[in-house]
Amino acid sequence: MLKAENVTKKYGQQTAVDDVSLKVQDNAVTVIVGESGSGKSTLARMLSLIESPDSGEIILDDKKTDRKSAKANRRLVQLVMQDAASSLDPHQSARQVIDEPLKLLLGFDKAKRAKRTDELCDMVQFPKDRLKNKVSELSGGQQKRLCIARALAAEPKYIIFDESFSGLDVTLRRCILTMLKKLREKLETGFLIITHDLDTAMYMADRIYVMRFGKMIETLDDPKSFLDFKENYSKELVRAAEYKRQALKL
Amino acid sequence: MIGKILRKPQALIGIAMMLTVFAVMIFAPAFAPNDPGKVDIMQKFAEPCKQYPLGTDDMGRCITSRLICGARVSMSIALPTIGAIAVISVLLAAVCSYIGGIVDKLFVIVSNIFMALPPFLVAMTLVGLFESKALSIVISIVVAMWVWNAQVVRTYVLREKSKPYIITCRMSGCSELRIILRHIIPNIFPHLLVLYSTGLSGVIIMISSYAFLGLGLETGTAEWGAMLVNANKLIFSHPELIVYPGLCILFAAAGFNLFGEALRDICDPREG
Repeated sequence: MLKAENVTKKYGQQTAVDDVSLKVQDNAVTVIVGESGSGKSTLARMLSLIESPDSGEIILDDKKTDRKSAKANRRLVQLVMQDAASSLDPHQSARQVIDEPLKLLLGFDKAKRAKRTDELCDMVQFPKDRLKNKVSELSGGQQKRLCIARALAAEPKYIIFDESFSGLDVTLRRCILTMLKKLREKLETGFLIITHDLDTAMYMADRIYVMRFGKMIETLDDPKSFLDFKENYSKELVRAAEYKRQALKL
Repeated sequence: MIGKILRKPQALIGIAMMLTVFAVMIFAPAFAPNDPGKVDIMQKFAEPCKQYPLGTDDMGRCITSRLICGARVSMSIALPTIGAIAVISVLLAAVCSYIGGIVDKLFVIVSNIFMALPPFLVAMTLVGLFESKALSIVISIVVAMWVWNAQVVRTYVLREKSKPYIITCRMSGCSELRIILRHIIPNIFPHLLVLYSTGLSGVIIMISSYAFLGLGLETGTAEWGAMLVNANKLIFSHPELIVYPGLCILFAAAGFNLFGEALRDICDPREG
């Protein structure tokens, strides 16, 4: 299990994350929702061991992490960022992007890497004939799938999706989310999805956390309906989502 | 890559110009119709003829031969100089700015000290230190100029270091050294190409300026800069003596610039 225990992170005088605790279960989908600036991404960076909290602990499989252990544990927690284009080296080919974790984190030889790359392409529905293309030559959807394939290549225990599905058109988003649902059934990987989209949260989540102003204000286990939310702010988010849906219908 | 270069006229023109300079540099003795150092005062300011295709200078030396052999002298100093500047500035700036913190601060302080000294002053101080004039020129220009290039490289590295793909590289298991060598430098390489190809022309001109100050190669050496400077007193009576070496410098510099910029467009997927 990946846990944050009473973590706080400040940037200057600004408290981005304030005494937050959460659990990312193995082989389950945990979702954090909240508006922009609520500290979701900062929490994601701490959970993915890129940043250290000012206070509190990030605990990975019952072991406290620190700067030293973060490097060793990097393979176990992978992050998929919001902007796929900027999160991939534009000079690398798609194959090189997937190759790197296979070689550096898992020590696979060339033949094994080629085989695994093919498997990962099938898994995320990335066209194999585009593997030789540079990242910058791929479409937005292909870049997103490549990011997911790269994260899966590391064979992590947890994958954190930081607003990874925003900015995608509805069809593509649905397609990727369905793919992730299937992957979740197939793999023993815990997913943490950070989003401001309640529909995505409801579609994917085994547990939903609601964040506001750097604090965790509500936790919802096994959510079935929007009516399960109890906190006023969560209800506000639900109303906003409903308003958006109505507006789209009009 | 080669296909992209072949499809880009600017790159082809640049390559053609560079190859011309290199060919002239390598095969100078075969191309030169006369001995470039042979003084024949009876033939001074001779008109272009079969023996002297571009005429002769104030000492009766064949201008064509001096220009051809000048390519070898100028480029054999300019190329190692810019190479040394490139290696030193890229390695120092990339490593220091990537590590950041106190190392980068120290680098900035040292750079500022070097930048406070006018390059020519540094060069003039160092140029007499070594027995070999060519080596003195190379070392003095490298010491004087590395810091200006390193500052530019530092800016590129800092910009690149802050991009999200660096986090992805770490997630993929890249060591810091691998990130610098395999990700940051390839991404800034197109900019470095332009920086150093334009720098090469600057170095050629700097070598020429040394000659003007009497710090260059031995008097009478067939070198474009020296020819340019020697001819300045004849600018009104024989302007062609300034125009010929000037055109050679322009030709070499333009060739490297054209190729560098075309290569940047080809290599940089965001701009290509």
